[in-house]
Amino acid sequence: MSTSAEAVRNAVRQNAEMLSSMERPRWRWYLLAFLLGAVVAFGLYAFTVQVTTGMVVTGINRPVMWGMYIINFVFWVGLSHSGTMVSAILRLSHAGWRRPILRGAEAMTVFSITVGGLFPLIHLGRNWVFYYMLPYPTQYGLWPNFRSPLLWDMMAINTYIIGSSIFLYVGMLPDLALVRDRSSSWKRLVFAALALGWRGTAQQWRAFAKASTMLAALIIPVAVSVHSIVAWDFAVTLVPGWHSTIFAPYFVIGAITSGVAVVITLMIIIRKAFRLEEYLTPLHFDNMGKLLLAVTLLWSYFYFADVLTTWYGHEPIEWEVFSFMASKYGVLLLIMLLGNTLLPIPLLCIKKVRRSIPAMLGITLMVNVAMFTERFLIIVPSLSHKNIPFVWGSYFPSWVELAITAAAFAGFALLYTLFSRFFPIVAVTDVREQTELLKAEHQLGRTRLDTLVEEE
Amino acid sequence: MEILGVFGSIDQAVGAVDKLLDAGFEETRITTLSSVPIPEGALIDSGYRRRFHRWTLAGGVLGAILGFSLAAGTAWLYPVQTGDKPIIAIFPVGIVTYEMTMLLAIIGTLLGMLWEMGLPDIERHAYDSELADGLIGILVCTDQEESRQHAAELLTAAGALRLRTDEVPE
Repeated sequence: MSTSAEAVRNAVRQNAEMLSSMERPRWRWYLLAFLLGAVVAFGLYAFTVQVTTGMVVTGINRPVMWGMYIINFVFWVGLSHSGTMVSAILRLSHAGWRRPILRGAEAMTVFSITVGGLFPLIHLGRNWVFYYMLPYPTQYGLWPNFRSPLLWDMMAINTYIIGSSIFLYVGMLPDLALVRDRSSSWKRLVFAALALGWRGTAQQWRAFAKASTMLAALIIPVAVSVHSIVAWDFAVTLVPGWHSTIFAPYFVIGAITSGVAVVITLMIIIRKAFRLEEYLTPLHFDNMGKLLLAVTLLWSYFYFADVLTTWYGHEPIEWEVFSFMASKYGVLLLIMLLGNTLLPIPLLCIKKVRRSIPAMLGITLMVNVAMFTERFLIIVPSLSHKNIPFVWGSYFPSWVELAITAAAFAGFALLYTLFSRFFPIVAVTDVREQTELLKAEHQLGRTRLDTLVEEE
Repeated sequence: MEILGVFGSIDQAVGAVDKLLDAGFEETRITTLSSVPIPEGALIDSGYRRRFHRWTLAGGVLGAILGFSLAAGTAWLYPVQTGDKPIIAIFPVGIVTYEMTMLLAIIGTLLGMLWEMGLPDIERHAYDSELADGLIGILVCTDQEESRQHAAELLTAAGALRLRTDEVPE
């Protein structure tokens, strides 16, 4: 009897710890939300200026028609990649250490793809007629051109937003019921509606497990297709530096690199903010560090393969773009190579570094600064020095574009902050399943080993 | 009619299931309620058979038809001539078809899962909120009041902390 009482006490403690983010926040949370909201509000003001004045307030020009908004679009869509994808891969591979990471990663995907999906609309100009993009019968006679990669983008991003949201929601279903059972008054009513009447019967749990696996298997090819299509936005054009067969896998790997880095960054912030040290241990950072190392190596390989063929072929216009990038944006090129390859690869080889939280924070932030820089270097130099030399130019973002970019980062952080306040940021039932049912000690010879059982 | 026995541990719940089976209750009429998934067979064999993959397949097929119709049909009905490019181009049609296929397959999986789980469920059921705190529920569905009374006695004898029913309290 004492054992069962202990198990119940343990479950109550774990529920309380993992749901602590949903307790009444302290003043610091309100301050953070206010500051992030203020940056978003300033971004909205900048957007209003753009709508009322026209695209002239941006830095984009002839020939650099794509600027900060498309850089942001590629960056945020890239970020969105890894949350759901990492979660899905870890689910399918039954990686036992995945459990505390899943929810934060899946939520990251939904918010970053939402932010990313706004940028093509912001970039459109005459934003009030954005619905012209939708394929519906219209008296204007404007039919969408399905041969345009921009329309593929819309299809792919919508699929990914809906798919990722479903993946996040399905994963949360048991936790929503758990919060319902521990709440009262209006909160209970809201979570009762969200939990749809989940009781946790044996049949419901079996269907839940099978459906989670099925959704994981379905969402991975969608994730790959989304960033491939973003890459084809570039690669199907004849712009030097873009027209490359390797662009789609290169973009996908770049997206996974930045996404894995952000997942680690968010894990560190969540761990500190909600005192989840017991659940997000150095082992998790070690494993995620190895994953980051693998994708960073892959990214470096793809970059090298792309540059090698450009250098070897020495086609004048291709080489002109590369030379222009290396001379005018030499510092940015160095930041990109240092942040994506030269520093993280040797550092992540060291176990001590992978298990050090401050070091991992520094590395993951550095990787994302480098990835944002890489997006800039993909877009701006190629457009600046296209095939016709008398329209060569350059680009510098205006305050409007910078304000909207800052608002995107703040908006993402704000959405994440609100989500972690109102929903369980850790997959409570997933973690408890492991600690209560599947984890055991096994005596082997003179030592005791921690073991983890997984159902086939 | 439902009767739910709430237990403090899996071991006690196993005893309750054994008693119910010995007394002639069918295993298909017994289920567990828990806040974490209990491995199949640890308490009962749920007899679960996955059927929602048909929904996934149906969604995928519907998505493929809709995607193809949207891309190829629209281009055919309202042609936009661009250079020497074909009106119905294989790669764009393929991409749009693929995205719609995956989208509806995902939605189909969600709907199939909810259908299989019996959700959303707004009917009154036997339930105990403290199951969220690690307690285990053994739920017995019966057709007669006598059977329910018998199940209640067996659950109590097996050490149930309390019993719950799906009846509205008077």
